[in-house]
Amino acid sequence: MDWLTFPALDREVLRAMRKTLDGGYRDFSRNYGDQIEGVFDPLLVLLVWLEQTLIHAPWLVVLGLAMGLSYVISRQVKLSIIVGLALAGIGVFGMWEDTMRTLAMIASATLICLVIGLPLGILMAQSNRTQSVLMPVLDAMQTIPPFVYLIPVVMLLGIGKIPGLLAVVIYAVPPVIRLTNLGIRLVDHHVLEAADAFGANRWQRLLRVQIPLALPNIFAGINQTIMMALAMVVIASMIGVKGLGQSVLQAITNQYLALGLFNGMAIVILAVIFDRTSQAYGRRIQKHRQDMPRGG
Amino acid sequence: MRTILSQMLQTLRLRTYKTFLCKTFLTALAVAGFTLSAPQAQAKCDDVSIANMNWASASMLAYLDAFILTHGFDCTVNIVPGDTVPTVTSMVEKGEPDIAPEFWTNSYRDLVARGVSEGRIVVTGESLSDGGNEGFWVPRYMLTENPQLATIEGVRASVELFPNKENPGKGAFIGCPSGWACQQVSLNLAKAFGLIEAGYEVIDPGSAAGLDGSLARAYERGDPWLGYYWEPTSMLGKYDMVQVDFGVTHDPVAWEDCIGRPDCINPQPNNFAKSDVIILATVRLKDMAPEVTEYLSRRQITNKVLQAMLVWSDENQADGEEAAMAFLAQNEDLWTSWLDSATAAKVRAAL
Repeated sequence: MDWLTFPALDREVLRAMRKTLDGGYRDFSRNYGDQIEGVFDPLLVLLVWLEQTLIHAPWLVVLGLAMGLSYVISRQVKLSIIVGLALAGIGVFGMWEDTMRTLAMIASATLICLVIGLPLGILMAQSNRTQSVLMPVLDAMQTIPPFVYLIPVVMLLGIGKIPGLLAVVIYAVPPVIRLTNLGIRLVDHHVLEAADAFGANRWQRLLRVQIPLALPNIFAGINQTIMMALAMVVIASMIGVKGLGQSVLQAITNQYLALGLFNGMAIVILAVIFDRTSQAYGRRIQKHRQDMPRGG
Repeated sequence: MRTILSQMLQTLRLRTYKTFLCKTFLTALAVAGFTLSAPQAQAKCDDVSIANMNWASASMLAYLDAFILTHGFDCTVNIVPGDTVPTVTSMVEKGEPDIAPEFWTNSYRDLVARGVSEGRIVVTGESLSDGGNEGFWVPRYMLTENPQLATIEGVRASVELFPNKENPGKGAFIGCPSGWACQQVSLNLAKAFGLIEAGYEVIDPGSAAGLDGSLARAYERGDPWLGYYWEPTSMLGKYDMVQVDFGVTHDPVAWEDCIGRPDCINPQPNNFAKSDVIILATVRLKDMAPEVTEYLSRRQITNKVLQAMLVWSDENQADGEEAAMAFLAQNEDLWTSWLDSATAAKVRAAL
């Protein structure tokens, strides 16, 4: 009956492979861990500073700043008022400090995602070869269970903000890359021919034609990235990132229904604030387009 | 088997009610059916579910019990994922899973007592005869230069030895993960011994993986580490850690009144109790297969044996099932002492 079972490698061989891999990684982290950690130190300083500023600043100032910022970005009084009310609601329910921690984390993660994601997406749209290399990488990043890469990250960088930030970025960056790429590739080639006919060079074509026309897709990508970053908050808290995720985790393990619901709602509110503000910005800079589809 | 047969019999009987020949045939069939299922009738041990808790030793014990139940007691066993609170809640409320092979009682005494008094679950016996030992630990290599770390007073005075990257100027004390009962306890003890006052921050590692990862990373590099841990575990089997001496014994009254509670205003120095680690079974299982609960009451392992197994499985990257098989291979004297000779022979034959 031997032919019925799959001819897998011998258990011992598999075990040896796993041991070698583990040992190799352990040696690597032992030898280079400190240097690699050093690379991320400036980022950690920045993250700690942002978090501490948000927590220790008077709440009225933070609230005003959030409302002002959302108005400047979206130019909508209504949205700015909603942002204020939502944040005030979070504060009333005693989740202000945790929300500020999560806010700092998500804002930094989203920013890093955009800084990495937008150029990569543009690069991917320029060359089919880049696309064929990056696509499987993005697929892997989106499907691999987070703890698979969290374990080596924790071995290397310990627990806390930096490994958490890395985990969030790995998980949340693919949509913005994908949709930037897609948006640029979907630009009508007649338009591009027209641009060429007017004598546009490559940069002009990219910056004045392709990217503006790709904006709806790019903003859909940004939206997805923000949503995924927030969804990752709970997983990140499993490697010691402070904030709303920790309370959700506590609620899950203790089956505290209300605690989980409150903190989950706070995460949702943050997501909505980020999303509506960025989408309103997207619509504002594309006001000339009458048929603008709503992103997201 | 018997129920299926009797159903078949009934349908057949309706159809062939008047046929004498068939009747005779059916009687013969019924008799045959009865004799066939007779040996199974006495050991009716179906559909036993065992909780595979999400830590290594409990997982090994789950597979160990599953193997012995399957081959020694002819049970049909399935292993289901579990975690302390959800598992015991489900055992009390829904009557499944049937067995929790390694249950740490200390923080959940009330929960267990309630389930027992409601007649839903039984405590069959101790799973780990030494019990669990919790505490604050530091790596031994730190002690050569800083022998004062062996006591909690020394730890309190040495806050600068445990730098905290995310909160410069503070010391790092790795507490217990979110949601574990020991989270509150370790926080209150850190307050009671003046660690917070001395400038330590209690850091929540978020999960067992986070806690293990932070300890492993520090130990592999010879970095400082101070935090909560417990034995028997592969981590403490593998890494040479020293338990910080609290200098006080366990005071159950003060523990219940304050240390174990979130609203403890003025925590006083106290010590962890040796935790009873028990096996829980459902009453359904006890009624259905008393010989199985009888076995569970004898199935006790010392911390030394267990920790050796955990280190073995860690070194060999074994999962709970492989660890259980290795345990059966390496500790025959031990497990045969839990079983009568006939059952032991059946298990040995299956190995």
